[in-house]
Amino acid sequence: MAFAIRRKRTRELLLIWFFLAPSLLIFLLYRIIPLLWNGVLSFEFWSPYKPAEFAGLYHYEEMLLYDDVFWQAFWNTAIFMASAPIGILIALLVAILVDTPIRGRNVYRTIVFMSYPVMTVAVGIIWQWLYNEKVGLFNYVLVSLGIVEQGIPFLETASLALPAVIVASIWQVLGFYMIILLTGLQNIQPSLYEAAAIDGANAWMRFRRITLPLLRPSIFLCFVIGIINSFTNFDLIYVMTDGGPSHATELLVTYIYRVAFKLAQFDYAAALTIVNFLFFVFLAWLANRLAGGEVGAVETG
Amino acid sequence: MNLKRLTPIAIGAAFAMALGLGTTAAQAQKKISILTWNIPYFEEGMNQWKEMFKKSHPDVTIEWLDKKGTEFSTFYQTQVVAGTAPDIIDVQGGLWLEYASQGGLLDLTPYLKRDKAFTDGLYPEVVNGWVFEGKNYGVPFYISKTLLFYNKLMLKEAGLTNPPATFDQLMDYAAKMTKGEKSGFMTLNFDWLYWPIFAENGIDLLTPDLKKAAFNTPKAVALVEKLAKATKDGVINKISWTGRWVEPNGAFAAGTIGMLNAHAPAYLWFKSKGPWVNEDTVGAADFPGRWSTPNSHAFLISKGTKHPEEAWEFVKMISSGDGAYVFGTGSNNLTGDKAANSRLMKYFAEKIPVVVPVLETQLKHLDKLTGNWPIAKDAQVKEAFYPELQAALLGDKSAKEALDEAEKKVNRVLTRR
Repeated sequence: MAFAIRRKRTRELLLIWFFLAPSLLIFLLYRIIPLLWNGVLSFEFWSPYKPAEFAGLYHYEEMLLYDDVFWQAFWNTAIFMASAPIGILIALLVAILVDTPIRGRNVYRTIVFMSYPVMTVAVGIIWQWLYNEKVGLFNYVLVSLGIVEQGIPFLETASLALPAVIVASIWQVLGFYMIILLTGLQNIQPSLYEAAAIDGANAWMRFRRITLPLLRPSIFLCFVIGIINSFTNFDLIYVMTDGGPSHATELLVTYIYRVAFKLAQFDYAAALTIVNFLFFVFLAWLANRLAGGEVGAVETG
Repeated sequence: MNLKRLTPIAIGAAFAMALGLGTTAAQAQKKISILTWNIPYFEEGMNQWKEMFKKSHPDVTIEWLDKKGTEFSTFYQTQVVAGTAPDIIDVQGGLWLEYASQGGLLDLTPYLKRDKAFTDGLYPEVVNGWVFEGKNYGVPFYISKTLLFYNKLMLKEAGLTNPPATFDQLMDYAAKMTKGEKSGFMTLNFDWLYWPIFAENGIDLLTPDLKKAAFNTPKAVALVEKLAKATKDGVINKISWTGRWVEPNGAFAAGTIGMLNAHAPAYLWFKSKGPWVNEDTVGAADFPGRWSTPNSHAFLISKGTKHPEEAWEFVKMISSGDGAYVFGTGSNNLTGDKAANSRLMKYFAEKIPVVVPVLETQLKHLDKLTGNWPIAKDAQVKEAFYPELQAALLGDKSAKEALDEAEKKVNRVLTRR
């Protein structure tokens, strides 16, 4: 009897591994091996033309002690990431608005969502023109209303460039956040609100005690997407500012690309990638802890 | 004889023969790959090159690869790592210096010395632009350097008749042309294309031995302050320091820029975007002091090539005589070959007279080329210097502070491993 159960269990396990193997193989080839190779590369002096030499911590020392641009890119990435809640908050307000039974709400939902499928390169070019100092729409409005005398060079000013790019990024992802949150809102049973209203809860209390707690998984998902977005927002930066002016909009990911492919320093770029990876892992761990430590866990039994 | 037993043997023998023949044919046919820099429109010309080469080298097949400038280095470097580097590459800017310094390119000095007749037909000043540590790595493909384009309508509107001859005049004219959304001056900034401004003001980037920064002088501080003020006042359009090449050229095409410091190919680009551009509305002149930054292209050969002789022969063919002429007519550029250029100038005078004044500037004052330092870390120096300069020009830092910081960074790049 026990033997038969064991055989069945073995067969099941084999089947599981059989189905998992292709994905694991791809993961191994395209994620694990490059990551390990990257780790090795970060401790070497390497070029495509010469045999590698052991470098010890040279690249890490250069990065942490001498490279101002690395620190600027690091903090810019952190700021970009920290801006995710702003986008989520705006998306939540929009989702609540378009969830109310108003006329033409499907049209509003479509309009808000339309920004998401637009190619990032196109978004970058559109916003670049919107921000243009001389002929941009924003400056036209500001000058016409008499708020400023001359156009503001949003993308050409170090202190304004990063917020300007963040606004464009939020605009692009807003529709996607809204759809996620709207789905979450529609999954909340109306009876909960009815019961709360009967118990005398006002709109704010219903929002705080029912909507927000039940939307937590959707908000968490948006937050994770926001974090990933801040680490991978290469194309928008590349098109709008190319990391400038003076690295004011440089993110870790754009800096890694610049170092590897424009400066041909693959070994140093590898060290930057490792730090970027560790930063990302730390954030994922932190987010998991903040979400109760069970994100992604499978319930068994 | 048993037919059933013979059949597999016969098939095997036929297969082995076929394999053998195939191998012999493959061995006889040599393949050379050429990677060009953003000339996808040149397909017809490339086919002509292939046919021309086939006549003298029937055993060589040419494979053509073309990449945009933004993809070029990524593609080439990954091919080098994979061990499949293209035999011949067409490069611009200082990218090649990194490859040459690491031993990735074939030293062409012996080839140039050997084929003297070919070498004598090239412009020596341009050939010298491809020398690193005494060795020549490039054969000029097409010539391009910066010049000053000026909007004749804006010049006239400002009460001026001729383009500026000195830097002070340039700034003065630019101020006079600035009005509302119109700016007097703009420059491209990639690959040191803005350096004529510094050269004209007597500023060197590095010491003569190329080992230390030399730019941090009171003269340079004064110049950067002047440029920053002009930028703040709108006399110099800010896109000069932020855009790459599309934005500044696009702005000039819009008719709101008085003068543009750009390389020659910019002309046909902004002409295609601005229907108002013609010989009566846009003029071409030397930058004050006749300084210019080359943005020429050259052919280089990868060290790992299996067929260096054939690659060299192909490079020779396409960069001189009929081969160069085919490229010049196909791309509206001048080449590195003097004889081909004489024919090309006649061709342009007849077919596209509007580009003649622009192209004439490209063959003059080759002794006043600047912004071209043969250092392995050209890209890293550029990366250390420009963001600091940019901060000062856009008013985010004082000129002194920015140049101090740039000096520190450039010196660190030059001294570190």
